[in-house]
Amino acid sequence: MTTQITHDEILAAIKKVPLIPTSGTQLLQLANQKDHNLTDIINIIKCDAALTGYILKTVNSAAMSRGKEITSLDRAVSLVGEDMILSIVFSEAAAQLFHADLDGYAANQGDLWRHNLRSAIAAKKIAPYAKLEVNPDTAFTCGLMHDLGKAIISHYLEGTTEEMVAAVDHGDFKDYSVAEHEKIGFNHSEIGFELAKHWGLPEPLPSVIRYHHHPQEGNIELQPLLFVVHLADIVSMMTGSGTGADSMRHSIDPAYSDYIDLSRDDIARIIFEVEIEFNTIMSSLSGEGEPK
Amino acid sequence: MSNHNIVGVGGLAVSKNPAESIKTFALGSCVAVIMLHPPTRSVGMVHVALPDSAVARGSANDRPGYFADTGIPVLLKEMAKIGANSPGNKGMVVKLAGGAKVLDPNNIFNVGKRNILAIKKILWSLGMGAVAEDLGANFSRTVSVEVKTGRITISSPGKKDWQI
Ligand SMILES: [Fe+2]
Ligand SMILES: [Fe+2]
Repeated sequence: MTTQITHDEILAAIKKVPLIPTSGTQLLQLANQKDHNLTDIINIIKCDAALTGYILKTVNSAAMSRGKEITSLDRAVSLVGEDMILSIVFSEAAAQLFHADLDGYAANQGDLWRHNLRSAIAAKKIAPYAKLEVNPDTAFTCGLMHDLGKAIISHYLEGTTEEMVAAVDHGDFKDYSVAEHEKIGFNHSEIGFELAKHWGLPEPLPSVIRYHHHPQEGNIELQPLLFVVHLADIVSMMTGSGTGADSMRHSIDPAYSDYIDLSRDDIARIIFEVEIEFNTIMSSLSGEGEPK
Repeated sequence: MSNHNIVGVGGLAVSKNPAESIKTFALGSCVAVIMLHPPTRSVGMVHVALPDSAVARGSANDRPGYFADTGIPVLLKEMAKIGANSPGNKGMVVKLAGGAKVLDPNNIFNVGKRNILAIKKILWSLGMGAVAEDLGANFSRTVSVEVKTGRITISSPGKKDWQI
């Protein structure tokens, strides 16, 4: 059985989530600027001693530093690059959410992190195929954050998995996120949107989080980016990084072809490249469990 | 409890140790190709993600299991290494699971379907065919094979486990 939850309940649950550090929001803002470089990233991180320490510690973990200790932030950032730095920063800054058990989706521990990371990498690789310019780094951060609402909604979905799966498979709902909305009053995208606002994440993040399953409901100027993240999410589910019960139960909006120009070979090449980068980042981040 | 050999995306495993099983998680559009060789009681599995290795531009050698055209021959080779081979691949029992569907009228994202077609074509060219399959549909599958019995169990969140 499911019960409807209220907007106030959602806001109360979101208020209990720790805020992300200012440096985190600044990095997201920076990623969204067209001509940023590694020096800009270093300048933001430098002002956050805890974050600097954490990055050096992670980069010095055996796999990345190959035995030579790296003591300067500049060296660390230029060695591993922007995707890895953002992965390190947010897997730590929002650890409580990324590594939540998604019992409400009957998912495995770590699934949400792996799903979002794979989506982020896929979004960055799909971005260049957009017919209008989409900043690949913005696409990466949107992919990384798109499903964080699942960490909060999961609690309210506990015990509903069999019922939800049966209803979606029976065709009662168009997809899993519509089922969420109908059954409990909200879906994970709407809750993720509230979370993004609470955290003060810069646009376009809140909007992309909100409309990633139904891109056409978003603003016109965001359509190319929304479709990039929408497709990246599908790719992530297809290639082994789902989050349990909802995996493969979200439909693709075929209007993507108005905004993104992809051939079969392109998508195959993207899937393979994503696999390689995903495994590199996963094996470099310590304590993330088995690479899968 | 038996020992699980975990097969990652594009990975493969073979075994004839009756105390073991081989398992792969969360197949979306990927397909698990499972080979059973009754005369030697051996089992093998490859987790195929894409139909054709041409897209890897030479780097497919690092991950032959990722592609149908390289993965199936490599699985046969690994099976042969543990003694599981017969002339013309006769006696090799093949079963398939995975290949979930993405409904894309543009025919770009239906990778599951293309994987299935490529796998069947390659099996056929090697004198084999699948005797059982659990393919398509709109959910992800976790698949495990018990070496001792060759029994294949499929699980998916929110559904009761089933066997093929
Ligand atoms: Fe989602
Ligand atoms: Fe997602």
